[in-house]
Amino acid sequence: MNAVPSLRDATAESPAPVRAVSNALSQWIGQLGAVWVEGQVTQFTRRPGLGTVFLTLRDAVAEVSVQVTCARTLFDSLNPPLVEGASVIVHARPSFYAGNGSLSLAASDIRMVGLGELLARLERRRQLLAAEGLFDPARKRRLPFLPGCVGLVTAPGSAAERDVVEHARRRWPAVRFEMAYAAMQGQRSALEVIEAVERLDRHPDVDVIVVARGGGSVEDLLSFSDEGLIRAVHAVRTPVVSAIGHEPDSPLLDLVADVRASTPTDAAKRVVPDVVEEQRHVVAARDRLRGGVHQLLAREQQLLDSLRSRPVLADPRTLVDERLTEVAALRERTRRSLSHSLDRAADNLDHHRARARALSPLATLQRGYAVLQDDSGQVVASVAGVEAGRAISVRVADGRVLATTTGTESVSDSQETP
Amino acid sequence: MSPSDEQEIPYEQAREELVEVVQKLEAGGLTLEESLALWERGEKLATICQTWLDGARERLERVITADDD
Repeated sequence: MNAVPSLRDATAESPAPVRAVSNALSQWIGQLGAVWVEGQVTQFTRRPGLGTVFLTLRDAVAEVSVQVTCARTLFDSLNPPLVEGASVIVHARPSFYAGNGSLSLAASDIRMVGLGELLARLERRRQLLAAEGLFDPARKRRLPFLPGCVGLVTAPGSAAERDVVEHARRRWPAVRFEMAYAAMQGQRSALEVIEAVERLDRHPDVDVIVVARGGGSVEDLLSFSDEGLIRAVHAVRTPVVSAIGHEPDSPLLDLVADVRASTPTDAAKRVVPDVVEEQRHVVAARDRLRGGVHQLLAREQQLLDSLRSRPVLADPRTLVDERLTEVAALRERTRRSLSHSLDRAADNLDHHRARARALSPLATLQRGYAVLQDDSGQVVASVAGVEAGRAISVRVADGRVLATTTGTESVSDSQETP
Repeated sequence: MSPSDEQEIPYEQAREELVEVVQKLEAGGLTLEESLALWERGEKLATICQTWLDGARERLERVITADDD
């Protein structure tokens, strides 16, 4: 201190150096004793390899905060572990760090209280139950599409009850509810909710259980993180929907439930389908179904019509007509060929007749010649054998002359006969 | 086959046989007696098919009409 002039003597002409002021501050602050202080940890910095953890401790009400340092060993020994936002009570003494002129509280003890401890305990419980597999997504059951009966665990006459029932009825007017009233807050709450859930689980008609409550503070919702309740919900066979009012810190019930609804209204949406929408689906499906049948019938009818319109079926006369034409043609051919041969025969006849006529002695007779025939019809070509008194017939061109022979004479040269 | 048995022929079977009948008739080469018998068979099959289709359409219409009421 010898080198440093007394701060009281410092003037504008002879000012005190920074170190003198820092030292004085450090001394003075160091003389202040340790104090118990309560506040909220808004953030902390824990760097590996650094022996000190820095925390920002904020006043519960005013916008006032102070830096707190603590040994890493102390910080790490906290059980449950400190989380940001936790309320704590710190035993600390003010400490001035001359290196950068910063003031902090050096903590020798940190205790969690109230909400901070609560959240930390819940977090620890969550980790243990999660490790046991109670929140395993694979264990979640599907909700029935349309429940026969909805079991509702809620406080009698509560807004949550009204929200669930009204919204569910609006979506599906025929929905049935089985009520199981329970205290939804306070000491007996967890026990009553467990009883209600188990009673509904045993009810043969109940296909889904809704646990509904409006929002509230972490403390209000404490019973919905009760380990007994979590295990009971995990054990029931009926699917469970948690509908605890929307909160940043959700109770553990949300994690173990098969479906987590953000609000009671949301739960109503999830447990029953919308009748109007379903109706629309049914109508659309039925239209498609009928359209399909219509199309099939139309296609088959078309096929049948086309088969029936083929000439062989539409006009079976063609089957006979073809043969009729054939028969007519054949008849025509037979007639034609018969008349042809008749014509030929007639021609033949004329020819033969002409020839016969050409060979006939008639022409000769017409020139005046005559043919003699005896009574037996024999042609008489010689006088021999024709005695007088013999009857002969003389054939002339237009008839016969019947005569009796009076006598005969021979002519020596037949050449002279005309 | 008696007429009542004929009504029991399923639609597809009747239709298939009808197609065969038409093909045979169109191919020709049959005696008159045979083709007449085939034609009669074809007529009968076409009637059976039509009866099935009419029945199906009627059932459909009945449901749709009942639904519209």
